[in-house]
Amino acid sequence: MKREAITVRNLCYAYPDGTIALEDVNMAVYEGERVAIVGPNGAGKTTFLLHLNGILRGCDGQVEVFGKSVGEVKKEEIIKDVGIVFQDPDDQLFMPTIFDDLAFGPINLGLKEEEVRERVKKALLTLGLSSYENRCPHHLSYGEKKKASLAAVMSMEPRILVLDEPTANLDPRSRAELIGIIKELNEREGITIIIATHDVNAIPELVDRVYVLNKRVIAEGTSHKIFSDVEVLRENNLEVPEVFKLFEVLRCFGYNCEELPLSIDEAVEHLTRTVEINGGHLHLHIHEHTHEAVRKLKSKYEHHLSNLRMKEEGAQTNGTKRSG
Amino acid sequence: MIEYPEIDRYASLDSPMHRFDPRAKIIAFLFLIFSIVIIPELKIVIIGLFFAIFLLILSRIPLSFVLGHLKWVALFVLSLYVMLAFTFPGKEIAKFYFLSITAEGLYTGSLITLRAFSAVILIFPMIGTMRFDTMIKALDKLKVPNILVQMLMFTYRYIFVFMDEFQRIGTAMRSRGFKLRTTLYALRTIGKAMGMLFVRSYERAERVYRAMHSRGYTGNPKTLVEFEIRRRDYILAVSIIGFAVSLHIISFFLP
Repeated sequence: MKREAITVRNLCYAYPDGTIALEDVNMAVYEGERVAIVGPNGAGKTTFLLHLNGILRGCDGQVEVFGKSVGEVKKEEIIKDVGIVFQDPDDQLFMPTIFDDLAFGPINLGLKEEEVRERVKKALLTLGLSSYENRCPHHLSYGEKKKASLAAVMSMEPRILVLDEPTANLDPRSRAELIGIIKELNEREGITIIIATHDVNAIPELVDRVYVLNKRVIAEGTSHKIFSDVEVLRENNLEVPEVFKLFEVLRCFGYNCEELPLSIDEAVEHLTRTVEINGGHLHLHIHEHTHEAVRKLKSKYEHHLSNLRMKEEGAQTNGTKRSG
Repeated sequence: MIEYPEIDRYASLDSPMHRFDPRAKIIAFLFLIFSIVIIPELKIVIIGLFFAIFLLILSRIPLSFVLGHLKWVALFVLSLYVMLAFTFPGKEIAKFYFLSITAEGLYTGSLITLRAFSAVILIFPMIGTMRFDTMIKALDKLKVPNILVQMLMFTYRYIFVFMDEFQRIGTAMRSRGFKLRTTLYALRTIGKAMGMLFVRSYERAERVYRAMHSRGYTGNPKTLVEFEIRRRDYILAVSIIGFAVSLHIISFFLP
């Protein structure tokens, strides 16, 4: 059994105005694991992440990092282990140049000058930003700033990396690049990854396990388990990856699969296996239930829209009498 | 595209002023600026002005760039000049109706105007020849109080972010039919937009502080810099300071 990198017990938090943001949150993330936290807007994801390195303190309950209780040990002890990359890179990069920003953390950790320079160099290299050392943040593109913010946290060499919406607002290339970097950091350096995201198509390839957070932990499990749970998805405004949907459609056309693939890689693997078993062919057909099944499937994933429609209809019937 | 207030646009040029060590440069120029603005003698101030222009030319900063900035200073200083010319008591040399221009007024006005121009011109070879972040680091090395250095640092970093933000608010307003006129409605709307900017800045400040906190901010950030002061820098600094001192010696002995 791997040891727990982060343990959260009965955490709750209320905003200064009294609104409850988190209620009885429990979570355990193991060393070297990759975990996603999903949930609707305003579910308290960012607030939760801020508890992981002790910036916010819950009313009761505990956050432990490698067995050290946040709040009982010195702040530096926790910050050294848990690096948070915030969503807006303009919040993250606050120093005049990229070099200063990357050096900021290591200097605060009290490292010697040579070591600080060493770490900055390494972080720049990891993110492919070596020529950016003396650039000012306001001259960079959004994608570059996003990478620089990750570098600024990596220079502290955390054992746990917490990312808030790392793929939001990025162009496809930067997005793919960033996903690759995060995976590599995990695989090569064994860094534990926790990601809050809405990017469902990135989840299957990026993480091992998913938590659904909506003030409290609604569900927990592998991506397969979460994406198969229609009820949870509906309740929390969540989506499933497009590949997953496509294979559900294929199933209506008689494609035989037990566990639906979530990513392109899985899909390729799955198709190859199926075609090989069937002697080099893929057999699809339309039978009497196909259309009905497809219609049902579509309505299943239109729950966002159907919820809206129901609300509108409700409002209309409450108001004036509807005309035929 | 917005025009950013980039005083350090020409920091990447190469000139004796660009190669001047930032710390020595700041000290020498500040000394020179302060000596020129306290000279009581017009002739000496003119010498100072020429020296300022000489240093500016030495710095290779394009004159059009400098003039673009000077015009705002001129607007301010020249209005002061006119006011002094008419109100300063002394020997009358011309009269328009009830207003009279005095020789003393003209003299004092010219003195103040030329001092101001010399000082502003000197700012360019001083600040315009290094990147702004280099200047901040130099100030830090010169033991300027850390809190001031931090304020400069964050102002420099976030002025662009806030300008972008205000620009976005403006674009959003214009694209929904807002026109800037001098009506009460327009002014009130601008006021509200400014208010929004303050709220956003406040929220951003909170997020930035969290990010700083997350990376171990203790209230006293240090930066790593490699400044190397050479003999050339000493010579240059001493000659600028020497020039400043000699201006005062001359003015002291002037009849």
